[in-house]
Amino acid sequence: MNSIVDELQRRRTQSLLGGGEKRIETQHNKGKLTARERLILLLDPDSFTEFDALKQHRCKDFGMAEQQFPGDGVITGYGYINGRLVFVFSQDFTVFGGSLSETHAEKICKVMDKAMEMGAPVIGLNDSGGARIQEGVASLGGYADIFLRNVEASGVIPQLSIVMGPCAGGAVYSPAITDFIGMVSDTSYMFVTGPDVVKTVTHETVTAEELGGATTHSTKSGVCDITFANDIEAMRQTRRLFDFLPLNNLDSAPSYPCDDPVDRREPSLNTLIPASETQPYAIRELIEKVVDHRDFFEIQPDFAANILIGFGRMEGKTVGFVANNPAVLAGVLDIDSSRKAARFIRFCDAFNIPVITFVDVPGFMPGTLQERGGIIKHGAKLLYAYAEATVPKLTLITRKAYGGAYDVMSSKHLKADINLAWPTAEIAVMGAKGAVEILNRREIAQADDPATRAQELEAAYRDNFANPFIAAERGFIDDVIEPETTREVLCKSLRMLANKSVKKPFKKHGNIPL
Amino acid sequence: MLKKILIANRGEIACRVITTCKKMGIRTVAIYSDADRLAKHVSMADEAYNVGPAPTAESYLRIDRILEVIAESGADGVHPGYGFLSENAEFSRRLADAGVTFIGPDEKAVAAMGDKITSKRLADEAGVSTVPGYDGIIADADEAARIAADIGYPVMVKATAGGGGKGMRVVFDASGIAEGFRAASSEALSGFGDDRVFIEKFIVEPRHIEIQVLADKQGNTIYLNERECSLQRRHQKVIEEAPSPFVTPEVRRAMGEQAVRLAQAVEYHSAGTVEFIMDADRNFYFLEMNTRLQVEHPVTEMTTGIDLVEQMIRVASGESLTITQEQVPINGWSIEARVYAEDPARGFLPSIGRLTDYREPAGEGIRVDSGTFEGGEVSIYYDPMIAKLIVWGENREQARERMMEALDSFDIRGVTTNMVFLNALISHPAFASGDISTGFIGEEYPDGFVGNAGSREQQELFAAIAGYLRAEERLRAANVHPSDADSPWKILKRAGSGN
Repeated sequence: MNSIVDELQRRRTQSLLGGGEKRIETQHNKGKLTARERLILLLDPDSFTEFDALKQHRCKDFGMAEQQFPGDGVITGYGYINGRLVFVFSQDFTVFGGSLSETHAEKICKVMDKAMEMGAPVIGLNDSGGARIQEGVASLGGYADIFLRNVEASGVIPQLSIVMGPCAGGAVYSPAITDFIGMVSDTSYMFVTGPDVVKTVTHETVTAEELGGATTHSTKSGVCDITFANDIEAMRQTRRLFDFLPLNNLDSAPSYPCDDPVDRREPSLNTLIPASETQPYAIRELIEKVVDHRDFFEIQPDFAANILIGFGRMEGKTVGFVANNPAVLAGVLDIDSSRKAARFIRFCDAFNIPVITFVDVPGFMPGTLQERGGIIKHGAKLLYAYAEATVPKLTLITRKAYGGAYDVMSSKHLKADINLAWPTAEIAVMGAKGAVEILNRREIAQADDPATRAQELEAAYRDNFANPFIAAERGFIDDVIEPETTREVLCKSLRMLANKSVKKPFKKHGNIPL
Repeated sequence: MLKKILIANRGEIACRVITTCKKMGIRTVAIYSDADRLAKHVSMADEAYNVGPAPTAESYLRIDRILEVIAESGADGVHPGYGFLSENAEFSRRLADAGVTFIGPDEKAVAAMGDKITSKRLADEAGVSTVPGYDGIIADADEAARIAADIGYPVMVKATAGGGGKGMRVVFDASGIAEGFRAASSEALSGFGDDRVFIEKFIVEPRHIEIQVLADKQGNTIYLNERECSLQRRHQKVIEEAPSPFVTPEVRRAMGEQAVRLAQAVEYHSAGTVEFIMDADRNFYFLEMNTRLQVEHPVTEMTTGIDLVEQMIRVASGESLTITQEQVPINGWSIEARVYAEDPARGFLPSIGRLTDYREPAGEGIRVDSGTFEGGEVSIYYDPMIAKLIVWGENREQARERMMEALDSFDIRGVTTNMVFLNALISHPAFASGDISTGFIGEEYPDGFVGNAGSREQQELFAAIAGYLRAEERLRAANVHPSDADSPWKILKRAGSGN
């Protein structure tokens, strides 16, 4: 009996040390925490319960039988974040470079299966050199088992991937399917094929950082949703994000205690829109002044900055925000911004999170780059996402809403629940200049002074159409509100919409233009 | 009494004047440029008229347009504030021609005091103590050297048309006089279009003390004590106080009587300020007279209980002063700090933009004169002053402490402000002991202001506050989970839905 207990103790101790003291030191010297240290920071104190600390690989080839590490390079189990259940796996780079073996994958699949049964989210901390070559096809099979579960769980429970080291080759497809990807600056990277193979095949010389580091993925590809300065920030901010999300798709978003009065007026919003219609302003200021405690968690801040997405709380409850950003590219819609917002809206829809949209959009970006890039289909994604969503949808037009972009940005016609406008709203088929050039072309050409006549007609167009009244007269917007009352109006609307339930006709799934 | 006053200015001084007009039941007319359409002074006034595009030369300085507005609005009086047209003789004259009352002195006094050489001569004649010097125009470097040797070094070469610290050079000995003369003349030429200079003695460790005068059209002239404005950065006043910690009652009386004599010499009426420079032995010398209301007038108001704008309006309306010299009090102590939208860490570069947050401090003895509001703009076209923060205390130390607290409570975000710098000055031991001179800021911060690390106690306080906020945040987060009711997952799944 004693020798069993001793052996248990020995194996447990070894499991806790992962790849050993030396490798732990190497990890630290790279500015990275170990897999266990990360979990300590991620989860509430003493809340982690581990599964399979003693699990070992079964590989016999290449002398692997002599190299055994209990736990097999990944730490799995469940814990609590601010008292709410979450399943986690944290890959251990100190054991076989965190590489994925058949048993390593089994461990991950076990927690994913449990998460699906309990209706709780999964957070994966990725730090792995990839497939364990020694295991061959078995390792590939392991990956596929994980991918399948990612897909099964998609839209059922929230899945977060935090990439805290290498994540290369096929391994990237698991995070790709999850709902949000976070990356740690300078110490993490993701790519399908690494710099060595790239050099051989396409003859490009590029570093891992350039090819797939946090900066590349948060500014150029849009693959990364959140960037963290270091491992500690990563765990802190992941906890903060987690607090916004419901545990599963039947759950409502958690209710946070709110000391911020619902009827808080913000007179400074009355002067947010500049006098000149071409001058930009910071739409972020509107979001920050409307949400509880100015607490706005922005997603993908550095990619497609012409649209903002992120989470905030209104009266304690999570709300997803989408806002055109007039400070970048005049807030125009293009391929990247359409895709960025569309996926976010579908996430909110899957998880019962209402969506508030702030609209100031002059239209879609023209040009061959956009057309050849398929703006037709990518723009349609955004329209599809809005129309499909059955969560409460609230829309506020702050300034421009022109043309097709007016339709796309959560208009009444796409079954938004509450559509509002500020007095500065201009809802029209296009701007005054363009409209007059088309509608009054002959008149301007035949005038004595075409330039002046055009200006007069533009002023008249602006007076008649560049305002919210025509839309209001037709009920396309429900009301025109004073900017300083925005928070109060939105909170009251959300209260009314709390129990919204819409029945949709049966379909296996739609065919969103992917 | 005037019935309708047009304020030919903007920003905080326009708001200040309108406030007093409202108190007196006088109707107000505001003027504004395109950039100031939503400004505070516009919404405060009874009527408002657009006078042109943003640049001041195309709007606030357009005398023709302002006269049009006066005619259209039927204003019978104009208050010019400070700066802009307040000391513009042509403006005064054209108002007089139009039969409109200018709330300020008459143009002859303005013109006389506007020229440094003329004003110095008048001061001498009135028996006002003036800086030893030669008040003729210096023809060339040789004459400069001779005159400077006569006066005795150190000397200051000054532009006659100058002001605001421009066109001035200090020369410490004979070796520098030629270059000093050349540099001052050329700066004066490019700054004011007039290269004439004169020479006077340079006062070492000088203090800037000014006397507020008030006179009516019936010849009654009084002085309302002094203000000390020694804390200056590049000759721009940063902090002002009344009374001065250095001036004795005897010196106050002497300066006040001389200031009154000077005002009477030009038949002055309305409010004005006679500026003196004082050396370490309390010898004082006349510098110049400003024939308008000054930016720092509030500290005089706080310690005398007299509304200077109201007095200006009464005087302009023909009323006699109701206060005699003996009745002028000194109650407590007042300090003013000018809050600017500038970055002290970057050479005080102006910081323009939108004020996303603006919350004034409030409390006993605190007064804020501001022309802006939360959501307002600090524009590139105008002076980047955000507000004047004025405190009053029963004594200097109480006023000083109230100022530090007020600065700490002033919440301004969206632009960078100089409040960190103001706080550093107010809390400096030299300021606490009143041991200041006009060279203080330049000597204490020769490389600009690099920030205040704060005392150990302050750092610990910040850490405690941060810890408290963090604990509050975590407490909120910890209460995030729902009640003990069965989760919808369990219930709905069991009922067979949600599949």
